[in-house]
Amino acid sequence: MSDNLVEFNNISKFFGSVIALKDVTMHIKKGQIMCLLGDNGAGKSTLIKTLSGVHKPDEGEIIVEGKKTVFDSPRDALDMGIATVYQDLALVSLMSVTRNFFMGREPMKGFGPFKTFDVKKANSIASERMGQIGIDVRDPSQAVGTMSGGERQCLAISRAIYFGAKVLILDEPTSALGVHQASVVLKYIVKAASSGLGVILITHNVHHAYPVGNSFTILNRGKSMGTFNKKDLSREKLLGMMAGGEELDKLEVELKEIDRIVKN
Amino acid sequence: MRKIYLTILAFLSWAAMSVASFAIDVIVVSHGQANDPFWSVAKNGVDSACKDMKIKCKYTAPGTFDMVEMAKLIDNAVSQKPKGIVITLPDAAALGKSVKAAIAAGIPVVSMNSGSDDFAKLGISAHVGQTEFEAGVGGGQKMKAAGGKKALCVNHEVGNVALDRRCAGFKKGFGGSVEILGTSNDPTEIQKAVAAKLGGVDTILTLGAGLSGEAALKALKSAGKVGSIKLGTFDMSPDMLKAAAAGEVEFLIDQQQYLQGYLPIAIFAQYMRWGTMPAGVVMTGPGFVTPDNASKVIKWAAQGYR
Amino acid sequence: MSTKSKSIQNKSSDERLRKVSKLKVLLNRPELGALGGSILVFIFFGIIAGDTGMFSAYGTINFLEVSANLGIIAVAAALLMIGGEFDLSVGSMIGFAGICIAIPAIYWGWPLWMSILFAFSMAVLVGYANGILVVRTGLPSFIVTLAMLFILRGATLAITRLITGRTQVPGLRVLVEDDPIAWIFSADAFKFVFTWLGSLGLIELRQDGTPLATGIPASVIWWIAMTIFATWLLMKTRYGNWIFASGGDKLGARNVGVPVGRVKISLFIGTAVAATIYACVQVLDAGSADTMRGFLKELEAIVAAVVGGCLLTGGYGSAIGAAFGALIFGTVSMGIYYTDVDTDWFKVFLGVMMLIAVIFNNYIRRRVTENK
Repeated sequence: MSDNLVEFNNISKFFGSVIALKDVTMHIKKGQIMCLLGDNGAGKSTLIKTLSGVHKPDEGEIIVEGKKTVFDSPRDALDMGIATVYQDLALVSLMSVTRNFFMGREPMKGFGPFKTFDVKKANSIASERMGQIGIDVRDPSQAVGTMSGGERQCLAISRAIYFGAKVLILDEPTSALGVHQASVVLKYIVKAASSGLGVILITHNVHHAYPVGNSFTILNRGKSMGTFNKKDLSREKLLGMMAGGEELDKLEVELKEIDRIVKN
Repeated sequence: MRKIYLTILAFLSWAAMSVASFAIDVIVVSHGQANDPFWSVAKNGVDSACKDMKIKCKYTAPGTFDMVEMAKLIDNAVSQKPKGIVITLPDAAALGKSVKAAIAAGIPVVSMNSGSDDFAKLGISAHVGQTEFEAGVGGGQKMKAAGGKKALCVNHEVGNVALDRRCAGFKKGFGGSVEILGTSNDPTEIQKAVAAKLGGVDTILTLGAGLSGEAALKALKSAGKVGSIKLGTFDMSPDMLKAAAAGEVEFLIDQQQYLQGYLPIAIFAQYMRWGTMPAGVVMTGPGFVTPDNASKVIKWAAQGYR
Repeated sequence: MSTKSKSIQNKSSDERLRKVSKLKVLLNRPELGALGGSILVFIFFGIIAGDTGMFSAYGTINFLEVSANLGIIAVAAALLMIGGEFDLSVGSMIGFAGICIAIPAIYWGWPLWMSILFAFSMAVLVGYANGILVVRTGLPSFIVTLAMLFILRGATLAITRLITGRTQVPGLRVLVEDDPIAWIFSADAFKFVFTWLGSLGLIELRQDGTPLATGIPASVIWWIAMTIFATWLLMKTRYGNWIFASGGDKLGARNVGVPVGRVKISLFIGTAVAATIYACVQVLDAGSADTMRGFLKELEAIVAAVVGGCLLTGGYGSAIGAAFGALIFGTVSMGIYYTDVDTDWFKVFLGVMMLIAVIFNNYIRRRVTENK
């Protein structure tokens, strides 16, 4: 049997007469970082939503650890170990690190109707897990709003891993971050993959994707242009395929033309 | 941030300095808000009496016709330990507990305007006002004498026991058929409600001049029925007085609320000095303002005394 | 697995750490504004009305009762606001619940305790209706509960006039004495303390020797108990975390498994039940029900919650803060009658106080989330 954690085979999604996705296939192995690239409007967010259980595919199948599965809701996908970290992170900036970390899955103590939220235990687990990433949470009861964007991203990822994610889907994790913070997040992603998770990294930034990815799937207007291994692909070639190299060349020619007219 | 704190502190100190209060002799707890043209006359009576008697008084009223809030105000008054409390008694059941508490605390209570039937059993010393039922009877008799057979009694505050009795008394004195029309205290709504009923009556009695009286008169005027339908009202207002002087209104029943404000204060002033207290009801009405004496009353009403 | 990276072991040498004193931590709590406001208000009235009897035992109980009544609904409104929603139908529910208690007891001959239970079951229904409408339609709760405000008030008026012919139902006072549960809402607590204080001459007496202030009213006990319960719920239970999450990020919370719909529906039931407790206290105290009771009270509850530190957009706030907000409200609304100021100025004061409280709370919240 294959050692794929999850297979998405020939996934298509239609919205009325609009073909958002057609015949997209992606396989994720343990420890693999698959970068999903494509320009805006290529269909990346529709694909994510289908992979994470928000949409049901109109064609194609999803196979999780060898078994054919259908996700009825994002909760189903979560329960099967497919965790998605969206761009808004599902973090409440006014709540503390601990409360955010355990949102929806709070540890309890006590018994019967008087069960209380074990804040102390939650605090220590949260600071410990964040410490493992290298983020010193000075006070786990401080509001998440005081953390930097990179730290928040790491918190969301750490939370997903703690609660048993086998496959991580990360939607543009570094888009809003500065260079240093982006590298912190990318380092964490690599670490997570090396401990056995499969990662789907969605981004439109090749310079972030290329260093960490093992394989690259490129989406263009709803269709997959293929999956490539890193050894078969150079950074420039990747950029060319993504950004629509011909359009950039045409633009360069037009700009030269305008320049010439203006100068005369 | 410090600047904001200092500003707030300064404002509060200034406010404190300007509103520090002194011992009160008589507290008036009334259900009538001072923006009501009827009650501003009563309040004028209170203010004049306080000045004349040289004692210190306060007039308080709840924001809306709310008996729960009014009972609280009576409790409030008791905690300030005045020499006497004047109240109106529109609902003896709701206010009884607070009134009895005041009397048990040793503060004498005099009622005015409403509650002529209930004041005695609560232990209130005296009542200053117009007994509603009898005033209604008088009005009904006058309308009957004017030839009325089918009447409309417009009640703008259903639940106010005094007003309910006015209509009841009117029915007795009138003899013919009387329909009681309950409305809100919004003048436009009253006008519309009355206009809808004009087809079946020859007499209208309203229970408040400025509010329902004027609204009814407007309804009559726009239907062209002034004079063919006779209009009478309790209480007075400048426009209704003018209408009476012009012969458009049969009569206004003047309960002389200025006296209702003035006399209790005077009573307490003498009580404070010599321990005297009248027994029973001190009648301030019904006084009838008709086309004959309307012009004089108009002058005084404009000044806020009638 | 307790290995931490080297950077954390050098915690003491992290230049971004500074000693944050316990006082500073306290200063960043959402209740701070309301607590400070309460102290200011007490100082203010202490100065201008200190010897008028406002702070005598009887006078204090008087304004505490007003605070307590508002506090009962403010606590529930605060929980709902933290959960991200508003309930504008609370005032109408108060009137409706009052009629649910009074009409069966007076007109259908039901025992009082049965009428009270009936009123509470109606509260659960109304709260559930509010909740399910908001959750299923996705409409703003502002609109849904505004509609319920009209529906309830109209139903109260129409049903009462239909059955009784008038807008009030009196005559309940006599029923309270023999009833097995009515005393929970109307009796005075700690009577013996007050009688003892009276015998020592420390508080004012009536002419027959009994103290003027007979005891701590039931509404005050309810207010304190509900505030304690709500605070425990928010801070120490899983459900409390869910309330913060539902108000802070409804979608995100749902994505991580918080049952946002269930939480919101239960919060709406909470406000309706609180309105019914208010109605029980008021009806049993006044001995009558009135169709116009509770008018505009929902706005006062929201003001108290906002003054107490609750964000209008949800996800942040405090039940204790709302209790202090109600305390401020009650103290000022009664205190103003002890001064020579025209009571119309009360509304001006209310608005000014609300602005000051909100600005202050905003400042606190920014400190908490930005540069702590």
